[in-house]
Order: sequence, then C-alpha cells, then structure tokens
Amino acid sequence: MLENSIFALLALFLMIGAMMVIWSRETILSAFGFLVAMLAIAGLFALLDNSFLFLAQIMVTAGAVVVLSLMVVTSINLKEENLPKEPYKFRWIVVSSILVAPFGLLIYRSLISLHKSFAEVSSGYGGLEMVGDRLFTDWVLPFEIVSVLLLAAMLAAIVIARKEIRDDS
Amino acid sequence: MTPEPLFAISTLLFCIGLVGIISRRNLFVTYISIELMLSAVNLLLATFSRLHGDSAGSVMVLLMIAVIAAEAALFLAIIIQLARSKKSIDSDEFSQLQQPRESL
Amino acid sequence: MNLLSFIVLIPFFSALVLGLIYLSDTKKDRFTLYTSIGILAPTLSMILSIMLWISMLDQDSDTIFYSKLFSWVELGDFHISVAFMADRLTTVMVTFITFVGTLIHIYAAGYMRGDESYGKFFSYFNLFMGSMLLLILASNPIIMFVGWELVGLSSYLLIGFYHKDSANIKAANKAFILNRVGDFGFVMALSILFLALEGSGYSFVSIEANIHTISTPTLSLIGILLFVGAMGKSAQIPLYVWLPDAMAGPTPVSALIHAATMVTAGVYMVARFAFLYNEIPHVGEFIAIVGAISALFAAIIATYQDDIKKILAYSTMSQLGYMFVAVGLGAYSSGIFHVFTHAFFKALLFMGAGAVIIAMHHEQNIFKMGGLKNSLRLVYVTMFIATLAISGIPPFAGFFSKDAILAAAFASEHYFIWGIGTLTAFLTALYMFRMLFIVFYNGTQPRVKLSPISKFMDRPLIILAFGSATLGLLGLGEAYGGSNIFGSFISLPDRTLHISHSSEYLLAILNTSMGVLGMWLAYRLFATNATMPTVKVAWQRIVINKFYIDELYELLFVKPLRSLSLFFERFIDRVGFDGILYISTYSYRYAGAKFAQLQNGKVRYYALYSMVGIALVSLFLLIFIGGI
Repeated sequence: MLENSIFALLALFLMIGAMMVIWSRETILSAFGFLVAMLAIAGLFALLDNSFLFLAQIMVTAGAVVVLSLMVVTSINLKEENLPKEPYKFRWIVVSSILVAPFGLLIYRSLISLHKSFAEVSSGYGGLEMVGDRLFTDWVLPFEIVSVLLLAAMLAAIVIARKEIRDDS
Repeated sequence: MTPEPLFAISTLLFCIGLVGIISRRNLFVTYISIELMLSAVNLLLATFSRLHGDSAGSVMVLLMIAVIAAEAALFLAIIIQLARSKKSIDSDEFSQLQQPRESL
Repeated sequence: MNLLSFIVLIPFFSALVLGLIYLSDTKKDRFTLYTSIGILAPTLSMILSIMLWISMLDQDSDTIFYSKLFSWVELGDFHISVAFMADRLTTVMVTFITFVGTLIHIYAAGYMRGDESYGKFFSYFNLFMGSMLLLILASNPIIMFVGWELVGLSSYLLIGFYHKDSANIKAANKAFILNRVGDFGFVMALSILFLALEGSGYSFVSIEANIHTISTPTLSLIGILLFVGAMGKSAQIPLYVWLPDAMAGPTPVSALIHAATMVTAGVYMVARFAFLYNEIPHVGEFIAIVGAISALFAAIIATYQDDIKKILAYSTMSQLGYMFVAVGLGAYSSGIFHVFTHAFFKALLFMGAGAVIIAMHHEQNIFKMGGLKNSLRLVYVTMFIATLAISGIPPFAGFFSKDAILAAAFASEHYFIWGIGTLTAFLTALYMFRMLFIVFYNGTQPRVKLSPISKFMDRPLIILAFGSATLGLLGLGEAYGGSNIFGSFISLPDRTLHISHSSEYLLAILNTSMGVLGMWLAYRLFATNATMPTVKVAWQRIVINKFYIDELYELLFVKPLRSLSLFFERFIDRVGFDGILYISTYSYRYAGAKFAQLQNGKVRYYALYSMVGIALVSLFLLIFIGGI
C-alpha cells in the first residue's frame, strides 16, 4: 500500500515534470521540469531496490546534466523577443500525440505480453558492490570505451564551443 | 508491486519525449525531450533488471548515464555555437539544407 | 550470257562514277570529262545491244538468252533472282532504246553545256538509262518492277533538275505521286499473281507456262491492275496530268524520258504480259477504249496549246493512246512497232523543239516565234520530216505503224475505237502542222536575234530524221508486197485478225487523206498571221483550260488530303499526342516540385515524417498482428 502510493506520487511528479518540459513557453521552466522529472526517476530507481542507481541518477543527471543545462540557458541570455515564437504549438503537439500514440501502444502491448512479475531478490541487489563487481568483470570493455567517449566528448565540446580565433595581427 | 505500471510510465515518458522533439522549435526543449526519452529507457532497463534479478541491467543504466552526460556536453556546446552565430535558438531558422526554390 | 548484265550495269556504274566525280567538287567545270564518260556508257550499251541483236538473228524465234546476276531472296518456295532475259521483244526494245538514248545523250551535251550542274545531269541521265534497261531486260516481274520504280525516280530527279524554281519541284512531285498511284495497282497485280500461282516459280517464262492454272476472274483483275500501273507510267486517262507539267525539265529529259522511252514502259509491260492478256480479251478491249479516248482527248487539247513542249507532251499522250489501242486489241507487234517509230520521230521533234528554244533564248511560246524557216534550216527540215511521220503520211514511218493499228481496230470490228482513231489522226496532223507552221512560217525573218546552236545538237537530228523517213518500211505489210520484217522478227503472240487487202487499201487511203487534210487546214489557218487562241465560243474556253482536269483533281483529291493532313497535324498530333506526352511529363515535374517542397530544411518536419511512417507501421502491427 505504501509502496503503491509512493509510486503514484513519484509517477505524478514525473508526469508533471515531463509536461512542463514540452508545454512551457519559457526555457527556464522546461529546464526546471527536467529537474523534477530526473528526481522523480531517481525516486523510482530507489523504489526498485536499486540504491546505486538512485545515487548515480541524482549525482550525475540531476547534479551535472541539469546544472549544465541551466548554466547554458542562463548564459546564452536571450532576450524575450529572440525566443522562438511558436504560434502553432498546440496544433503540433496534438498532431504529434496522435501520431505517437500507436507507437506507444505497440511498445506497451509488447512489454505487457511478457507476463512477468517481481520476484524476491538477493539482499545485495542494486548495491554498490554488486554493480561494481559486474562492472569490472563482464562489462569492463564498455566501461573503458565509455571513458574514452567522455574524453572525446570533452574535447569536442571545448572545440565546438570556443570563440572563433581572430587573427588580428 | 507489478511491473505493468512501470512499463506504462516509461512508455508514456518516452512518448512525451517524442512529442516534445517533433513539436517544439526551441532547441533546448528538443534537447531536454531527448534526455527524457533516454531516461525513460533507463527506467525500463532498471525495471527489467529488477525483474530478472540481474545486476547487468543496472550496469547498463550506469553506462547510459555516462553517455547521457557526454551527449549533454556536446549538445549544449552546439547550442552555444548556434546561438552565437544566429542569435536565435529556433530550429526553423537553421534550414540551409532545404531544397532550393525553383520554378517549374 | 553476261553480255546482258553489262548492258544494264554499264550505265549504272557510269552514273555512280559521274556522281562521285561531281560530288568531289560540284563547282568545277569538267565538260570534257563528264561528256566523255556520260556518252560512253550508253554507247557501250548500244554496241552490246547490237551484238545481242546480231546473235538473235541466227536463233529460233522463241530462243531466250539468260544472265543471272545474283539471287536476291530465297525463302522456302519463294525465289527471286536478279536475272536478265532477252527474247525477241527485249532485243528490239533494247536496241532502239540504246540507239535513240545515245543520240539524245550527245544532244544533251550540247544543250546542257554551261549549266552549273552539268555533271549531276549526266549522272542522273545515265541512271535513267540503266533503270530503263533493267526494266526491259528483267526476267521476272519483280525485277521489272524495280526498274519501273527506278525510272520513276530518275524521272523525278530529272524533272526537278532546275530545282531552284519551286514550280519545277511541284511538277516533279506531281509526276512521282501519280506514278505511285499507278504503281499501287501494279504491286497489287503482282501480289495477286504471285498468290494465284502458288509457288510455281516467278519468272516470266514460268508464269507463262502456268497461266492456265489461274481462273479468268483472277486474271481479269490482274490484267486491270497491271494496266492501272501502265496508266500512271504511260500517262493515260485518268493518271496523265503529270505529263504536261513534266515539261518543266530540261528538253533532253523530255526527249528521252517522256517521249521515247519511259512512257512506253506501260506498252512494253502489256506486250510482255501478252500471254496473260490473250486470255482476257475483254480487259484488252477496256485497255483499247481507254487508249482511244486518251488519244482523242489529248489531241483536242493540243490544238489550243501555245507552249511548244506542251504540244509535244499532249502529242505523246495521244500516240501512247494509239499504242494501247493496239496492244489492247491483241495486235502486240503493231503496238511495239508504233513504239519503235514513235521513239524516232518524237525524240526528233523534242530535240528540234529544244534547238528552237535555245535559239530563241529559252522562249517556249510558239506565238512569239515565227519566220525561222530560213534561219534554222536544218532544224526546220528535220522537224518537217518528223511532222510528216507523226501525221501518218506515207512513206514516212508513222504511216505504217498507225495504219497497222487502225487496221487492227477495224478488222476486229471495234468500229467505235476505229472511228475515234481516225478522227484523232486528223487532229494529230492538224495540231502538229499548226505547231510547225506557227514556229517556222509566219514571216520570213525571226523576231529576235537567234543564239547559235551547238554541233552536238545538230547531228543527232539528221540521224533521227533519216530513221523517221525510212524505218517504216520495216513494218511493211504483205498487202504492199513487204513481209513485215519487224512483226515477224519480234514474234509476239498476236491475236489473229483478218482483213482483206482491199479494205486495207481503203483504210490506208482514208488515213492518208486525214493526214493531208489536217496539214492543209493547218496551212490555211496558221501559216500566216497566226495569233494566240482567244475565247470566242464557250467550248473553246474549256479546251484552252485543258478541260479543267487539273482543277478537278485539285478539288477532289488534293484539297481533301491536304485538309486531312492538316487536321492530323493540328489536332491529333499536336493536341493529342503531344498533349498526352506533355501531361505525362509535366505531371511528373509538377509532382516532383511539390514533393521537393517537403524538404524544407527544418528538422522538426523530418522528425514528423519519420513519425508518420512509424505510426503507420505500428498501426499495421497492432491491427493485423496483434489484433486490437
């Protein structure tokens, strides 16, 4: 009972956050909606007995990604009039919802058809040790690749975002 | 607790993200919608990990989160560059790849 | 016997050589080169023909010489070879055609001298000779038809020789098109003949052997259709209208093609198919009637013409009518004899007319001439002899041949045809002497200073005049003590006719008096103070305008066809076909342009398009596989 109500609450927050993202006119509001959604997802991770993911989600996504987005949103500093005017936003959203609905339905139906249910898990499930254990044995190669990826992304971001070098000599 | 609501939630989140990409012109909203879609996938992965009792799903989510972070950096860098050049973050502004207008 | 092949091939080869030399430099004046090659070819053919004739003299009357060039088509039972044959008829035709042809080539060298396309002229002229010889020497009807078509082509090329004037081109087209109408009948006849024979060989000899296997109605149809071809080629009613217009070509062309040789191809064809026409005498009657009416019709028109060449053109048509009367009634030897004598005096008349035209600075209206008797003595004397010949006055050539034809008509009890023939003989003498008197009499001095005439043109006139004077004796019938050398040599399957000697003498006297009467009347009317014909009585207007036949054809055939052609061009072609094509291409371009607008460079739209696809696939999967 408690579980279900917590789940319901978290789900509600998630939906509110998502709706804020796509409906808001202000960019900042979308960013905040994003934050709310990420936190709600962290909560859902916790509900799934996955303590490590709960932590990782908060630290990385809510902590780094959202903060980074907010930084960029504020530093770009667009005036009110430079924001894109979206006169037909409502129509677009309705039409896209109609188009997306069958796809969503398809995914949901296929997921449902698995007919699974939660079973008891071992005590160490979702903890730091177990994840680390799997990470550094079976998944060490993807781990290394991801680290290279992060390096590359860092370099790329720096190159893309720097100001043009003017040759003023 | 049954997995069905979780499936529903993640599917719904994914669809909302999809709608956000298609319908909004603001590049930030597009970016955040992409993040939403990825998070929905994360949620699904975590659910399945719990269903099977296998931590491999959790490892995948961790790696995905790392990738999300990298992608965030790049995407935002691009937005900064675009905003610098055109002073606008309207995705309809950047339509240089369009078919040139020719008369019949 | 390869001699035969060479007779045909030498002129063709010469035409090719002349054409190539001409094309190498069209402006250069190579008079001697062109003339020597151009005259050499028919001379060689003439020599070979005489050799052929000499060897024929020793043989039996039904000997045939053969020469096969190559096999053209061999499909199962259907064999056509390009092969030549020479029997008595062929020998006679080939000999006089090459002889007269050589003389006209010599004449043409003088006439056409100085023309800028001199080489081209001789190339075409030799081409014509080769085609005519091909026609005569062919051993099967299909090769004959090839020659038939080729002479039509040469005629077209030569009529339109002065191509800078579009009226000449029109005349050439008219000749070719009317020929084509006739050729249609000819081809139909050949096809039916071939089908009727059912694969039992297709040369003249084998057709003759198998002629009895074909039913009379089929034979009649074949006979009539073959004659339709002859109508076109030999200018009989109704396909004659091209002949007067063909006078637009240079005079040597008129002399050779439209007097002596090509136009007689129709008569030759009937004589060649004599074995066929002997089975269907009623068709022969029809041919004779058409010939008679054409003869009379042309003679009437000729009495009111004022262009010297047109008078001669109508005269040719008239004489051709006589020839068809002869071969229609089964007197093939008389018909061919008239072809033979006609070649001589008609070629002479044309060549003389050409000399007069050149002397009068290319003037062709006889009423602008006059008084040339003393200035152009040679031409006058030779043309006088030819006019006597054509009027049927003895002892000149035309008398014997024309007399034979009218006797045949009388003896076969076709009195209507005989009457028309006799009347036409009177008119012939009338209009021919009219022409002679108006041109050469009417004063003693010419009206303008004359141009000199080249020697090339004089000499052939003499030779032909000699021929017109004497060659008639070859056909001297036994009533006069002769043995009809010509007829017995040529040994055609004439239908036998009986006429008593006394009737023959009476007819001869009648014909002669007709000729003399015409001459006397012409002298009275035209020898002094001749003026252009004016319209005093209504029927004169009709005759002067050639019975308005050209206008009638224009109305009946040319205008409707032209309108139809325009209709097809404007509506069916432009609107219909082009419209369909335009719609199919334009619609693609339009659709393409519209589709191209989808690519507007905005990412959202692309995402939308993908989503549409995904939605459709999801729906499909949900409904058909999942079952909603």
